[in-house]
Amino acid sequence: MTDVVNAPAGRGRLRTLFGYEERSAALFLAPVMAVLMGVAVFPILYSLYLSFFRIKLTRPNRTPFVWFDNYTDLFSNELFWVSVARTVAFSVVSVTAIAVIALLVSLLLNQNFRGRRVLSTILLVPWAIPYVANALMWKWIYDSGYGALNGVLYQLDFIDKYMIWLGDQDKTIFLIANAFVWKEVPLATILLLVSLKAIPSDLYQAARVDGASVWQRFIHVTLPAMKPGFMLVMIYETMMAIRHFDLFFILTEGGPGDASHVLSWHIYVETFRNLSFGSGAAMSYVLALVTFALSYTFIRTLGRRI
Amino acid sequence: MSEKTVTQPGGIDYRRRQRLARLAQTLVILGGAIVLAIYVLAPVTWLVSSSFQTEAEIVSVPPHWIPEEPTLMNFEAIFSATEEEEITYETRSGQDPASGGFIPSTAKNLLPAMWNSFLVATLVVILNLLVGVPAAYALAKIRFWGRDASVYFILITRVIPDIALVVPFFLVIKNLGMLDSIGSLVLTYLAVTVPFSVFILVQYFEGLPDELDKAARVDGCSRFQALVRVFLPLSLPSLVAVVLFTFLTSWNEFLLALMFTQTEASQTLPIVLAAFTSDFTISFSFINAAGVLAIVPPVIVAVIFERYIVSGLTAGAVKG
Amino acid sequence: MARIRFEHVEKKYANGFHAVKDLNLDIQDKEFLVLLGPSGCGKSTTLNMIAGLEEVSGGRLMFDDELVNYTPPHKRDVAMVFQSYALYPHKTVYDNIAFGLQMRKAPRDEIDRRVRDAAQKLEIAHLLDRRPSQLSGGQRQRVALGRAMVRDPAVFLMDEPLSNLDAALRISMRAEIKELHQAMQTTFVYVTHDQAEALTLADRIVVMRDGVVQQVGTPDDIYERPRNTFVASFLGNPPINYIDGTVEVTDSSTARFVRGDLALTLPPAIAGKLADSNGREVRLGIRAEDVDETAQGGEGSVIRGKVNSVLPVGSDQFLGFDFYGEELFFRVGKDLSHALGDDVALSVDLNRLHVFDKDSGDTLIW
Repeated sequence: MTDVVNAPAGRGRLRTLFGYEERSAALFLAPVMAVLMGVAVFPILYSLYLSFFRIKLTRPNRTPFVWFDNYTDLFSNELFWVSVARTVAFSVVSVTAIAVIALLVSLLLNQNFRGRRVLSTILLVPWAIPYVANALMWKWIYDSGYGALNGVLYQLDFIDKYMIWLGDQDKTIFLIANAFVWKEVPLATILLLVSLKAIPSDLYQAARVDGASVWQRFIHVTLPAMKPGFMLVMIYETMMAIRHFDLFFILTEGGPGDASHVLSWHIYVETFRNLSFGSGAAMSYVLALVTFALSYTFIRTLGRRI
Repeated sequence: MSEKTVTQPGGIDYRRRQRLARLAQTLVILGGAIVLAIYVLAPVTWLVSSSFQTEAEIVSVPPHWIPEEPTLMNFEAIFSATEEEEITYETRSGQDPASGGFIPSTAKNLLPAMWNSFLVATLVVILNLLVGVPAAYALAKIRFWGRDASVYFILITRVIPDIALVVPFFLVIKNLGMLDSIGSLVLTYLAVTVPFSVFILVQYFEGLPDELDKAARVDGCSRFQALVRVFLPLSLPSLVAVVLFTFLTSWNEFLLALMFTQTEASQTLPIVLAAFTSDFTISFSFINAAGVLAIVPPVIVAVIFERYIVSGLTAGAVKG
Repeated sequence: MARIRFEHVEKKYANGFHAVKDLNLDIQDKEFLVLLGPSGCGKSTTLNMIAGLEEVSGGRLMFDDELVNYTPPHKRDVAMVFQSYALYPHKTVYDNIAFGLQMRKAPRDEIDRRVRDAAQKLEIAHLLDRRPSQLSGGQRQRVALGRAMVRDPAVFLMDEPLSNLDAALRISMRAEIKELHQAMQTTFVYVTHDQAEALTLADRIVVMRDGVVQQVGTPDDIYERPRNTFVASFLGNPPINYIDGTVEVTDSSTARFVRGDLALTLPPAIAGKLADSNGREVRLGIRAEDVDETAQGGEGSVIRGKVNSVLPVGSDQFLGFDFYGEELFFRVGKDLSHALGDDVALSVDLNRLHVFDKDSGDTLIW
């Protein structure tokens, strides 16, 4: 599909806006646009508006206009920066793990073997289950009293007594990341598989004739061809990791201490526990901008393929 | 027939090498497959196994991997919990005589919550199709000024993290008094799922020949009729993919539901489930049973429609 | 039953591409008009504008004195056959053909009658229950024709319908299309880039290039009296030969064309038109078939050169002919044999010369 907009241009722009094509297109797009304008665009603008006020739901009648105070408070709040650090840590760990595991799995599934179909169906399970169920499941596995993780490690003699996994500040991020990765791997695998399957087999034949070993073929044929798929996975999963909330809510509630106090949790606490909607709005707005800047690349990559 | 070692250039036995290589390949694949299967299924199996255990069993150290006294008690509790029974300490422990584990008073919310989830998901799917299909058709087949911009716009709305939507939305809905209604959930989910649906549909529609659309219009169809009578029948795989993704996304959504629902009138499954996990008096086996129940529908749906997940994303060769 | 008129019609796309420029065309009722030109010349765009599939950017498009610029395609009484046939894959052949009538709410038995009738005429009656995927290319083409025929439209549009067929089928289908036109007595507008096809089928041809009409006329007109070098070289196989040179005018009925050693006497009819062009730089066009090896013309009608290549083509030969560094191709009888490097003298039919202005390419004599 061409990047360039092809449309009839009549006498002046106005004609274009009301041409037959434009009118039918407008009709077809009206519902979508209405929904998105209302539910996506409006909140962001309203958010911006709210962020200039001090709003505490505990005193609903006093909402002074405070200019950029919410923002300055935000940036001077140490906990905010902690949450940024946590979010970055979580994202980096998760996305790396996802990329590596998904790569291996997609390579495996690209081979033709009996039972492959069964295996890919099995792979769908983590993807299909609700995040909350996932959280619940891992919470149970990590349980300090009776969980499976403790049980397995104990039985294999790796530990001699049960540990409180989720209470360990150093380990929390990794544990949550593990749960996140487990759920995200299927989708990432599918995305990588698509780009894997697009590699024409001629390339491999040519490489074999040229004398390349299996490893060399991987490095020089497979990996380069998977680059767009990788980009897609990295960007998408990063976006997902940055905004993830469910696991943090169920597993650790930002704790222990602030070990897993990520940005989305921070916003939640500020807004719904401290009931400070003004600063909550400011934070949301900042997060939205950051994500937007990050995913500008994402949209351009995807958009070009549409 | 005896095998002769064939000597080849350099004295290397290529046949043997090949067989070894193939053997190695099979082993690697087999190993990989097993590891993958364990990685994926083990946590889930543990969950399922736990749900069939009594409270007494479940607190054993080390854990019983396979229930020695499997029981359906936990599931029964979910299905039989009703409003009328007054929940007191006695009745609670009475429901699990074996151990004294507790079945929460909120247990009765589980099934209605499932129903809410189902209702919301179905409505969202229907609306997605109604809203998304015409939009995708226009973006794929009508060349109009602003087409590329529209595509970017639709995709960009997904960039905003849900939590950023929540704050302003909560205030608006609260002021509209729609805080505890299914409607606000449906509308929000619609906005959240529609971009991806449109994306899937546009990709697919573009794979259908332009001239098909032209032929239909010359034959007497308005653009809308061309869409309905010619394109839709040919787009089944992508429509299924849309239904699948949209249903699963709605079913699994948590954060927005957390914000917008307050009582069991509108609470969806994830919310009720989450409530259980923070209640420390609840028996573990019960929670696990609830978890299993939450998992079953989406997994079934995903498994049934598995083949459409990839094929719905790319148009097959549709030649006319 | 339709007369189509383009009045100063323009088609511009938003990216700036100017597909059709100031098109003025009057298509007569019942005529077979062919839009001919290379890719990108605007012929398909023009066809699509008649159908309503492309919107007119400027000017007026009239059907029988009614402005149709803003009428959507499904409200116009046109039928169209596409290059890729565009059959509905999910419908049977019967439903494919019947679709247009169904959309126009014709009564069921009427539809049935017409569909079977058309199928009969196109010899596809036995295929009515099949799906397009089960048909061969030629069969699909007939279904596409049937779909258009059955509507009995005011205008019949065809966009390079034969390009996907193999050569033999193409020739037989041309004849069938011509017959169809006779039988239906409707206006046909046909797009092609194949000049042979245009010459065979058309009542009139419109030659287009880069969105501009080069010439409109009967096949004979276009072939015999091309308006510019583009039209002259687009029609005719092998393409017309061009020699650049100067015109020397002696008086109002005497002139000659000079290039190096070559001096061709221009007949009075041509010379008369060139009276004011003494010393002018021109481009002379000689068609490949307008020479004769055996005729005894005078000096003023002979062209000489060295043989570069000899290509036998059945009943004739093509002689590749070196003339001051350029290669000209002429068609001669196969009786006389030539070797490469031979000197050869060909007698030119002076009455069939074409003279064009060297810079603009426009004809100076028609």
